[in-house]
Amino acid sequence: MSDSSTYENPGAVSALSGTFQRMEGVNYRLFSPEVSNLESVFFVETDPARCQGCGKCQVQCPTGARHKQPDGTRDVVDPAACVNCGQCLTICPYRAIGEGTSYVPEVLEKLKDPNTVVVAMTAPAVRYALGECFGLPVGTYVGGKMHGALRRLGFDYIWDNEWAADVTVMEEGTELIERLHDGGTGDRPLPQFTSCCPGWIKFCETFYPDLIPHLSTCKSPVGMLGALAKTYGSEETGVVPENVYTVSIMPCIAKKYEGLRPELNASGQRDIDATINTRELAYLIKEAGIYFTALPDEEADPALGISTGAGTLFGTTGGVMEAALRFAYEALSDEVLSDLATTAVETGRGLTKVTVEVPGFGPVRGAVVSGLDKAAMVCEKVRAGRADYHFIEVMACPGGCVNGGGQPVDPSIMDASLFKKMVASVNKRFKMRRIA
Amino acid sequence: MKTKRWDLSRRTFIKASGLACGYALFGVRMAREGAARVLDIVGLRQDSVHKADANPALYRYRKSQNNPMVKALYASDGFLSEGPAGSLSHELLHTHYGDRSASIEGIDGLRRY
Ligand code: SF4
Ligand code: SF4
Repeated sequence: MSDSSTYENPGAVSALSGTFQRMEGVNYRLFSPEVSNLESVFFVETDPARCQGCGKCQVQCPTGARHKQPDGTRDVVDPAACVNCGQCLTICPYRAIGEGTSYVPEVLEKLKDPNTVVVAMTAPAVRYALGECFGLPVGTYVGGKMHGALRRLGFDYIWDNEWAADVTVMEEGTELIERLHDGGTGDRPLPQFTSCCPGWIKFCETFYPDLIPHLSTCKSPVGMLGALAKTYGSEETGVVPENVYTVSIMPCIAKKYEGLRPELNASGQRDIDATINTRELAYLIKEAGIYFTALPDEEADPALGISTGAGTLFGTTGGVMEAALRFAYEALSDEVLSDLATTAVETGRGLTKVTVEVPGFGPVRGAVVSGLDKAAMVCEKVRAGRADYHFIEVMACPGGCVNGGGQPVDPSIMDASLFKKMVASVNKRFKMRRIA
Repeated sequence: MKTKRWDLSRRTFIKASGLACGYALFGVRMAREGAARVLDIVGLRQDSVHKADANPALYRYRKSQNNPMVKALYASDGFLSEGPAGSLSHELLHTHYGDRSASIEGIDGLRRY
């Protein structure tokens, strides 16, 4: 397949061995990891032959996992230190960083198998970026076409992760209210941290384990959806869970790690059988010859399908906070929240504070951060007991899931670096002439 | 002699302004490079999320608790009839976390928090 987002020298020979497929400009190792591989897999993988040693990824990495190798290239020092956010991958100007896993061949096999019921579970942020892979303007909403494409790819059910986000609001909002009523005592302290972002979860477990009691015990929306698909969904459709194959479709790389967490087997099966991201979905659609932009808008499937504005907000920084407050306000006050603007959450690059006056309860104070460097700042405050908040939303990727590590990569990063390279070579020639 | 000098200075002036233009172009290109450029794209995607939330043609409901398929899930005859954070919820929808700090012990050069 020709790929217009590839600018690098076509003659470059990879220094990695294995089977790879380039999807939307990113190299994927065709390997479906299993639970037993969880701690040893490199979810981001660097090709030393392509790496120019510019160090941009090292600056971007929030954990310091990317180390300089003896030859000047950069690579992840140990999978334990990498939280799989993929920010290094999206920033690399030379497309030297790819993914170490891809379930695409396995998913294609399952789609062909008449005995397997394949379920698509699509995250909110995917529908705000998928269109870019088909030439639509940045940010175009393509939720309806995405459903249409999934159906044509042969997915048997489309169960929307936005519906699961609504369920998450109910569970996480209720948990917050319980913690508020208990005054944050015992093993359920305040502030409560959100737990939707697997990059943030691994970061907290690794670098701030003392703050684990602050994490909401809620699974992420897709963690919930996987478990519900093989229990509630099976009940609703009459399909035995053993025959269901759930595919989590995410804007993210860290979700591949999350899907493999051993404890995600609440349904008695693996709750999530495979995880692919926006780029891999675009590849599947293109390979199947589906004319994406001409597709009609279609709905997700019943029972686990309808979603709300609150659900779709999960795709952006501040969105989980806003969605949860819309619920918590009504649950705490027993009053209908009529002016949604009162809970509007303004987000900038740093930390954003939100205070909502809830009748009969008082102020509920929240904070929103995206980017793990900012999260670390908030964690320090919580550690020191200086965080006077009830609820803190954390997303590992700057700007939230819409900027996730699995989203289409901005081709102009390549443009810009090509421009710089050109300038550098002109300067070099100029200097050489002067010397001569 | 005089004309020549004037010519020279004019050429210098043209050269200088040409250079200035060049630098201005560089400035713009560089400001939009890398991380800053990514944030532009992110802003557009974020705007689109907020517009979708406010668009009744895309999302008829704006609050999770009003979602009919969520109501059906938690209804008294529904799958999670105990309501949110009930015991079946805890079994299926909640989880636990583990201290992973030992896994990075001995790795030098990490950002220590
Ligand atoms: S950003 Fe890419 S080219 Fe630069 S050091 Fe990292 S992997 Fe190498
Ligand atoms: S995926 Fe994230 S944590 Fe891992 S090396 Fe890249 S930037 Fe660092």
